[in-house]
Parts: sequence; C-alpha cells; structure tokens
Amino acid sequence: MAMRDYAADKESFKNFFVDFCQTDDEGNKNFKYAEQLTRLAHREQTAFTVELDDLHETNEELAEAVKQNTRRYTNMVSDVVYEMLPDYKHREVAARDALDVYIEHRIMLEARNHRIPGEMRDPRNRYPPELIRRFEVYFKDMSSSKSVPIREVKAEHIGKLVTVRGIVTRCTDVKPLLVVATYSCSACGAETYQPVRSLQFTPPPACTADDCRINKASGQLHLQTRGSRFQKFQELKIQEHSDQVPVGHIPRQLSVYCRGETTRRAQPGDHVAITGVFLPLLSAGFKQMTQGLLSDTYLEAYNVSCLNQSDESEMAEALTEEELSELAEEDLYSRMARSLAPEIYGHEDVKKALLLLLVGGVDKRPNGMKIRGNINICLMGDPGVAKSQLLSYIDRLAPRSQYTTGRGSSGVGLTAAVLKDPFTGEMMLEGGALVLADQGVCCIDEFDKMAENDRTAIHEVMEQQTISIAKAGIMTCLNARVSILAAANPAYGRYNPKRTIEQNIQLPAALLSRFDLLWLIQDKPNREKDLELAKHIAYVHQHSSQPPSEVRALPMRLVRRYVALCKRKQPFVPQALANYIVSSYVELRREARNARDVTFTSARNLLGILRLSTALARLRLSDVVEKEDVTEAIRLVEMSKQSLTHVEENVQRGISATDRIFAIVRDLAGSSTTVKIADVIERCVDKGFKPDQVDACIEQYENLNVWQVNQVRTKITFM
Amino acid sequence: MHDLITDFETVTPDLWISNELAWKERLLKLPNWHQIPLINSNASHNLPDGSLVRFRGMIQDMHNPEFYFEQFEIFNTTTNAIKNKSGKYRDTANVLENEKINYTENLKSAQRQTMVVVSMPGLNDWAQQLEDRQNHLKHLEQQPNTSKRLSQSVSTKLKRSYDETDEDPDAMEVVVPEVAPSKERKTSESTNNTANVVSREHLLNFPLPDVPSKSCIVKIYDESESYKLNDMIEVVGFLSVDPALSGEFQEEKDPLLDPQIESEVETITHNPPPSLVPRLHAVYVKKLDHCNPLVTETIDQGAVLKEANAAREHLLKALTELLLGDQLAAEYLICHLIACIYLRQETLALGQFCLNLSNLPTQKYPNYARQLYDIIKQFVTKSYYLPLTIDNMNTLSLLPKKDYECNRLTSGVLQLSKDTHLVLDETKMEQGTLDSTGVNNITALGNMIKTQKVEYDFKYYKMEFDSDVSVLILSEGKSLLPSDYHVPLRPEESSLEIFDAIVEAATYYLKEEIMNVIRTYLTSLKLVKYTISEDLQFVEDDFIEMRSKSDTQNPVTADDLHRLLVLARLVSLSRGCDSLSKECWDITKSMEAERLHRVKNRVASTF
Repeated sequence: MAMRDYAADKESFKNFFVDFCQTDDEGNKNFKYAEQLTRLAHREQTAFTVELDDLHETNEELAEAVKQNTRRYTNMVSDVVYEMLPDYKHREVAARDALDVYIEHRIMLEARNHRIPGEMRDPRNRYPPELIRRFEVYFKDMSSSKSVPIREVKAEHIGKLVTVRGIVTRCTDVKPLLVVATYSCSACGAETYQPVRSLQFTPPPACTADDCRINKASGQLHLQTRGSRFQKFQELKIQEHSDQVPVGHIPRQLSVYCRGETTRRAQPGDHVAITGVFLPLLSAGFKQMTQGLLSDTYLEAYNVSCLNQSDESEMAEALTEEELSELAEEDLYSRMARSLAPEIYGHEDVKKALLLLLVGGVDKRPNGMKIRGNINICLMGDPGVAKSQLLSYIDRLAPRSQYTTGRGSSGVGLTAAVLKDPFTGEMMLEGGALVLADQGVCCIDEFDKMAENDRTAIHEVMEQQTISIAKAGIMTCLNARVSILAAANPAYGRYNPKRTIEQNIQLPAALLSRFDLLWLIQDKPNREKDLELAKHIAYVHQHSSQPPSEVRALPMRLVRRYVALCKRKQPFVPQALANYIVSSYVELRREARNARDVTFTSARNLLGILRLSTALARLRLSDVVEKEDVTEAIRLVEMSKQSLTHVEENVQRGISATDRIFAIVRDLAGSSTTVKIADVIERCVDKGFKPDQVDACIEQYENLNVWQVNQVRTKITFM
Repeated sequence: MHDLITDFETVTPDLWISNELAWKERLLKLPNWHQIPLINSNASHNLPDGSLVRFRGMIQDMHNPEFYFEQFEIFNTTTNAIKNKSGKYRDTANVLENEKINYTENLKSAQRQTMVVVSMPGLNDWAQQLEDRQNHLKHLEQQPNTSKRLSQSVSTKLKRSYDETDEDPDAMEVVVPEVAPSKERKTSESTNNTANVVSREHLLNFPLPDVPSKSCIVKIYDESESYKLNDMIEVVGFLSVDPALSGEFQEEKDPLLDPQIESEVETITHNPPPSLVPRLHAVYVKKLDHCNPLVTETIDQGAVLKEANAAREHLLKALTELLLGDQLAAEYLICHLIACIYLRQETLALGQFCLNLSNLPTQKYPNYARQLYDIIKQFVTKSYYLPLTIDNMNTLSLLPKKDYECNRLTSGVLQLSKDTHLVLDETKMEQGTLDSTGVNNITALGNMIKTQKVEYDFKYYKMEFDSDVSVLILSEGKSLLPSDYHVPLRPEESSLEIFDAIVEAATYYLKEEIMNVIRTYLTSLKLVKYTISEDLQFVEDDFIEMRSKSDTQNPVTADDLHRLLVLARLVSLSRGCDSLSKECWDITKSMEAERLHRVKNRVASTF
C-alpha cells in the first residue's frame, strides 16, 4: 500500500475548513467550519467536530482515509486547526480560567526568550501542543455507515472509526486524566513537559534541561499540578443488545474511554450509539508480566449519543440482501400473517387482521379534523382459545407496546395521573399505559372485566387518539396514538348465540363500534379441520419439522423490521377507487338492514375499510391503494362479521320461534318492565314471525310466570 | 501405540504449533483417550504445567474474547539476538531474565474465546466413581511430582526474577516510584486483603450448592465451531497453572493514575488462583451428547433396542415395587426417565415430559419422596433433588444472573446441562408466605416446565436460554406447578405396610450388573433415532373421534394430541421399538385413559 501523502492531506484539510459551505433554504451561505473555528478562537466552544459526510462531499478519498486511520488524522486536524486559529481571532479574549492565563504567560515567555526565529529548541523543553490547545477534535461518522455489532468488532477494526450500539452497564466517575505533566527542576528551575498518551506514565528520572545536563547536576523533578494539563476522563462499559446476541451465547461487552466533551453523556442502563476508534491497550507494569501476552482493547469515543429505547433507527436500517430474498418469496401477506404466533395453528384471518393492526392505516387530517389510522381489534371467544397467547405475542413483537389486563388497570392507570411532587408541590403528569404505548400497540386482556367508569377513558383514545386531562390546575391533551388490541371473554364464560354482542360481552355499543374488527374465536369440533390439525401434528412428530407445504415462519426480528419499513409509506386512495368503496359500503349497509345485524354497520365501518386497505397497501410497500386491497379489507370485515353470526346459524336452528320472540320482547322492553303488545307484534312481523306465533309465545311465558298480561291484553309486564 | 501415548505426554505448545494439523490428526486417531489425564479425576496439582490434559464439563459462562499475541519478537539484551515466539496455547511469555518483548513491532495479534467450564452439575456419585476408575492415572501420583513440577515451572521462577528487574532504576519502564519499593510485602498484603473478599464458592461459581465440583477456564482458539452456553464439552488442551495468573497478586492500583474500570472484585473473579481453577488452552473440543461413562460415544441402535426389553423388565419391577405396587405410575416414570427434547421450533418444544406424581403416602412415610429419589439417582447420570420448602424458594437463586460488579454470570440452580433430572419435592412444602424472590422462583420453575426455557437475568434485559431438563414433581395433591402428565399414585394396601422392607429388597435386587444395564438403557434410549411411519390413519381417526367427544368440561385440543404422540414415542422406545406401531399406540391410549380416569376420580390421600 502506498503511503499517503500526509502533507497534501494537511493542505486539503486546510482548504476544506476554509472553503466548505452549505447553502441553506434561504440561499444564505453557511461556512460551517469557519464559524466553528471562530468560536474556537474566542473560546466559546471546545469541541471541533468534523462531519465525515461533509468531507466525503468534497474529498471522498480523504474521508475514507480518515475512517481507516482516525487517530493520525485527529492529530493532523488538531495541528491544522491550531495553525489556523490566530486568523480567526477577531478580538481579545478574556482569560476564562487559570490555565488560560498560564498558557498566555507561557506564550509571552516563549516570545521573550527566543526572539531568534527558527531556532531549534530542545524538544523536551518545548511546549507540547496538548498544553497550549484548548480545543478537541472529533470526527462524526458518515450517516450512511452502519453500526457494527459489538461481537463483530475484531482485530481488523483496530485503528478504524466504528460505530457500535449497546446498553451502558457501568460507568466510572469522571476523573481528571493527566495529558501533559509539567515538572520543574529543583536544581535549575527549568520546566520539563511530558505528554502522557496512555493511562499510565513514567516520570523522567532527572532534569534534562541544558543547565543541568551541562553541570551534571541532575536535579530532582517535581510535578507541578497547576502547570499540568488535565482532561475529563470517564470509562464506560457497554453490552450488546439482546437481539444482537446469537442464541445460547452470553452478551459481550466493550470498554469505552470517553475524554473531554464526550464524558457524562450516558448513564448505566442507557441505550447508546458510540462512534469511536477501536484501539489496543497495552497493559504495563505488573499486569504486563502476568498477562504479558494479552492486550486489552477499548473504544476511544468520538461521539456518544443516547438512543431512546423506542428510537427505532436500527429498525430503519436497510434490509440485507438475505432478508430481502427471504421476503421476496411469494405471498408475503399470508406468510407474514402465519409468522405471527406460529405455534397457534390456524386462525389465519385473525392473524391477518393482527398483522394489519401492527402496520396500521394512514392518519388523515382533512381541514383540521383528525381521522385515526390506527386499527383497533377486539378478540372474543371462549376461554382457552389462545386469545391471551395472541395478545402476548403481539406485545412482544410490537416495538412499542404495553400489556395490561382490564381488571388490573384503572382508568387512571390507562390514561394519565396527576401527581403532586412531594418536594416542590408542583403538579405533575404521569403517563399511563395508553400514553406510554403512544405510536404503538396497547394490549388489554380481560377487557370485559374492566370497571365501567375506567372503560369510558378509552372512548376518547379509540377515536380521537388523545387523552384530555382537566385536573387540579392542569389542563392538557396528551397524545395517545395507539392501536388497541383487546381480548374479552363472553359474559358467563361462554358465548351465548342467543344474545346480542352487547349482552354477550357486556360492553356498550359505543365502545364496541370503535373497534374496526371484532373477532369471535371459537374452537368447535369439525371433522375436516380436525383431520388437518391431526395431520399437521403427526407430521411434526414424524419428521421433526414443520410440513414443507407450509410457509416457513419468518423470524420475529425480520417481521419487526419489515413492519417498521412499511410504516414509512403513506399510501392514498386514488379517485378511481372511491366509487368502488362507496358502492361496497352501501351494499354493506343494505345487507345490515336486511339481515339481523349483530354488529354496527355505520360510517365507522367505512373508515375501518379505508384503514385496512391503506394498511394492506403499506404492506405491499406501495404508495397507492389498489382495488385488491379494498377487496381484501372488505373480506376481512365480512369474515369478522361471519365469525359472529356463524354461531347463530349453527345453533339457532334448534331454537324455537317462541324463544326468539321472547328475545325480541326482552330487547324491546329494555330497561322498562312493560311493553305494548302492539309494538311486539309489529316488531315480530318485521322479523318474519306470524302473529299467532307471537300470541303463542305470550301465552306460554304468561303460564311460566315470566310476565303478566293485563286484562285487555295490550300490555306485557315483566315480573 | 505406546509411543503415541508418550508423545502426548511430552508434547509442548511449541511442538504442537510446529505441526498442528498432524498432531490433531494423531489425537483424533488416539485409541486410548484415558491416557491423557482427565482433570475431573486427577488432581490438577499432580499435573505439570504445559502438559496435555483433558477436562469434561458444562459451559457455564463466556467472557469477552481475548486478544493475544500470536507472533511476537523477543529481544535479548545481552546477545542482541531476536527470537520469534508464539503466544498461542499459553498464558505467560516464558521470557528469560535478559530478554524483552518487543511490544511495538512485528506483533501479530489474534483472538481467542474464553469460557468458564464447570464439571457436570448434578453428576451422580456412581457416574463420578466410574469415571474416576476409568480415568484415574496412578502413575501421576507416584511420580515425585514436586521435582517434575519444579523443572516445569522454571518459567515461573524466571518471571519472578524478571519482575524484580522491573524495580531496577535503570530499566526504561519504571513503575511509579511510590509503588515500586518492597513489592513482595505489598503482594502478601493484598493476598490477605482479598482472601476476605471472595470465597472459594464464589470463584468456582457452581450452579448447584453443596456439591463438590471443579471448574476450568478454557481458552478456545478455533472460532469456526460455535459452542453454546450449557453445552457439555470435553476439552483436550494444554494446562496452565502458573501461580502468577492469580488475580490476587495484582498490584494495588492508584486510582488517580490508573483509572481502570475493572474493579478489584472483577479482576479476582476473572483471574482466580490457577490451583483452584486451572487454565486450559484447548487444542480440541468435543461436544458431548451425554456423559454416562457406561455408554460409548456411538451407540449401536440395533443392540440397544434388542436389550431394551430386558432392562425395562428390571426397571419396571423395581419401580412398581417402589411405587407401592402401582404399575401405571411406574410406566409413566420410565417414560419420564427416557424423555428428552427432540424438536425445538421457535416456541414449540417437543418431547418434554414433566411428570407429577401426586398422592404420595407422606403421612405414613414423611421421607417417601427422598427415598424414591435416592433410588432414582442410582439410575440416571445427572440429577438434582430440590425440596420446595418455603425457605428454599425464598432464599435460593434459581435463575442465573449477570453480576456486573464481578462481570460474570452468577449461576443458579436452573443452569443445568441437558438431560439432567430435576426432582422437585413438593411434599416438603408447608404453609407460609412467599416473598418476591419466592414468587419469581416459582414462576421460573413453571416457565421452565411449560416451555423448557430459562430466563437469565442480565439486569437491563432478560434473555431466554433453551434448556432440556426433565422435571419430576412429587406432591401430595396436584402440584401447584404445571405439569404435562399428572399421575395420582394408587398404592396397594399390602405394599404400604412394608415399604421399608421393599426399599431394602429393591436395593438387594438392584445389583451392580442390573444397575449398569438399567443405566445404559436409560442413556442410550435418548440417543436412539425414532421414526413414525407415514401411515398414521389410526392416529388421525382417533383424534377426530376424541374431538367429537370433546365438550366444555373435557376439552380436547391440539396439545392433547401432542401429548399422546410424545407418550407413544416413549412407550415404543421403552419397549425397544424405533417406530410407532398400532400396538404401542393402543397401549398409550389406554395408559392415558386410565390416567385421566384417575385424575378425575381423585380422592384425598388417606395415607
């Protein structure tokens, strides 16, 4: 490899700092580095950050060289900056601290003592650059470069700029680290400087100044604390994220040394991204003896930034070739749906719906109105049909999610609480589960067990996606852009097809209508399905693998990342499709009017279909909703309705007309105890019963003493 | 042949490096592994530093990889000669007094993986004794080992002297003056101090309390193979027991001048005295499928199956007697003993067989569970008995936890290698309050039984590790922990009276030969390949029939079919069939039917 021409590099750096400018929106030229230099010169800034992105723009080759040999270029840039600083100094700077004064004195002293320019000085007595410079040079990695897993940081990365991510497990106090040790000689009084580049140093044994050397006085050297330069130093230990660790391995760790401006950026438990140079550390002294053949390694930090745990920048990283090819296989939609909770066999439409919930529809804000894009789903079903398993799987899969049970959470626990700070007496807002799951999924198990007044808190969230607080002097509106996935058991244990949904789930219609999809999951013996299931299980046992005909489940991490990718798309509904959607909706309404409607076909359904279609378009990574998306969305809505009505068809056959009429009468009565018979007859005829059937029913239940009929037989009174 | 052995006795790391491939080939062809000393059976103080040894154990922890110098130069200050050396397979640099390592040039560093390996947790006495008998090398003890060790540890002595040169003011690298004088005294001081800091148990970090064990720090050079936590391995490698490696001899640090992040505890934990925890530089690592000394590595499937029935007869007889004449329970117990996980897919783990034997006659025999375990542990290779007392639950740490103070994984009882039998004695539980630790422990046990996964606590997050541990729960009523198969015991009145005599008789009946047959049977059946024929019409039909009969009270789900198929597999295997036949399927069905019948008509224990 040819040696780089460092002198030329130095020159290009100089030009880069002077010339580099960015033009902002208003056309103003912004000399980024020149301004930084000015601030440095006036001691208003300590860190001098060179963004490799900018350097790459001007000099691609140099940027690459910096990445490969960062330490060297840091020193070079430091030299360049030092040389350039006087040009940018426009006014006298007041000394800020003792060291400034000290440095000033030294420079003056130097100027007085050595008037002859170009005179060579003894290197030991010359001021080391570290002593005079009050700035720090940092490189910022290119935004396009990917972070390296801690596990992959190996010998080949030594000396190079790498970015790693991890969780801080330990950090030391910030301590002063000696950068330049200044000694004064007891015999001749000369000052000796010793730059310290490692963590340990060996003081020079004797004075090497001219006087002492010539006189062979070898005076004693004393460390001058005030004349020495110290730097803030902190050591961090970071550990791999759990998803970077291969199965069955222990997470690895990495030491990070932070100096100067990079200290105090993180605390144990923080998720961080650290850019730095990977370097070997030679142990010295006794340790070197015992472990003489080992070198520790560390990362010299250039940039430490805390990541929010929810900051999904890692998720947003481009998918690898491998992953893409895995995704490129046909029918991604069903495949991804099957990958949700693969251990639960079947329930494909439910899983598809859950997948769409994860992806979510597009938010719309026409004229200040806000239409949510998040999809809410309620799963109902008999006990033991894997509802909770589905919920907890979604909870694990979704990057931001909260899992709670209806019984275990109060309205305050879900929304937000106003607390009084014990020290200051100020009022504070503490977010509840729904607020914490903002832009994520909130899974609520045992939704039906929730207390009535707690449930009302959810109404606002489910449609407006906000939580309004008006308590004790705090009036605010918190965002809760959350998809709600609820699971509910039917009242009295089993879904009773004789009743309506409201009665079965014991939830008010207002709340139920806010769910885009309501699924009833049932586990009924069914010859064909059972055979299929038996075959499936037998196959697993026979061949110790999933049947090949089936689509292999995608790994959770891939699904998670693909969903994150999907969420970036904002598909719209083209004008041409509007008519189709409208006509489909009209059809739905008509059907709902004709058939006995157990759910609520309302304008909300139309929105629901739109949400589902946009989610489907997102899943295809498309910007336009297509007709197929709408068809699929309508199919899902239809299927969810069928899951509810299917029961009725199955079982209601066996129910006599009398029972059904009784149900109508009871509905009609509602909360009051009396019903007019004329109303009953009218309603029942609407439903297709004959008047004499109604009479028979009334008589039968009168005999059973369920109700009484008044003398003129116009009114029914419930007992 | 004999030559080969002697070669391996005398090989040194340098010799090995000079022709690695050839040596490895010879090692693999070696007819008699037992001649390479096994540290488990031979005290490490009898083994010379730098010799080739073996160690068997379970990977307990993995440290960060180490960067070592694969090639480095040594500069001789008197002769000015430059020598090339390698740091592979060794910890110390073997430099002479007048030699210096060139740290600045011509260095080639490489990476090696460091793992903490502990001897198999829960290895039963009989297996240990057998292993000792096979591997114990008499001649090691007879050797006047002190002299041999002295000659071997010249390097150590040289190190000391080299150390002293450090204090020579002429040397270039002078330690900070305050620290330099009287290092000897300092060292002894720090030894005294640190002796209080960490105990022997702390350093050994063994999963199970109160069990004698050994541990080794193994350095693995071959990166191609990936070893997982809790894998059972056998390592062949060069022993390194240089006392200088102990972290207790670290110099005291000046916190201002030496801002190292490693705390003292961490240094000591990571560098335990080599006499206690020897270092092993692996030249060859073998993954083990089992650690039963009676069973060879490769099994002859045909022979195993042929002999299965005879062994089963013995075992069934003994267990039926011990379970007070209850043959059904004995059948289930046999299935439990040969069960292991054979398929793991994402969230599904097939083959787990957690058995709950309830209705034990604890009123009459309060120690029945313990007595039963004492017999079981004679059969199985690895087992552990855990009485579920309130006190145990509240104080034991079942889950391994990352200790960031010492930077290591502190082991817990549930860190077990595969095919370990965990016996939980619930009859010892009494009324009381579980604190939060207790609740966590119970949850952890439940999770392990249900999913065969153990959550290790890394403080900032938790990570799941797969486990393959068969759990047997002995309880009075139905256990509070979940189980796959719950069998209430039906003791015969007659046997109940004479249980003590039965135990005695069983011990007499189970002579060493019969025991060995049973031991071989239990281990080798786990290794047998089992197939299910393509035609499973009878299974499918039965399932559909079961489903049609299912109702709310007795729901039949996919799990029931899984359970039946797992049981059928074990029933067939225990009878020496390597495929599923209609006959075994019918046996399985009737077993389950009887079991479910018992569960339904469970009555409170009257014994």
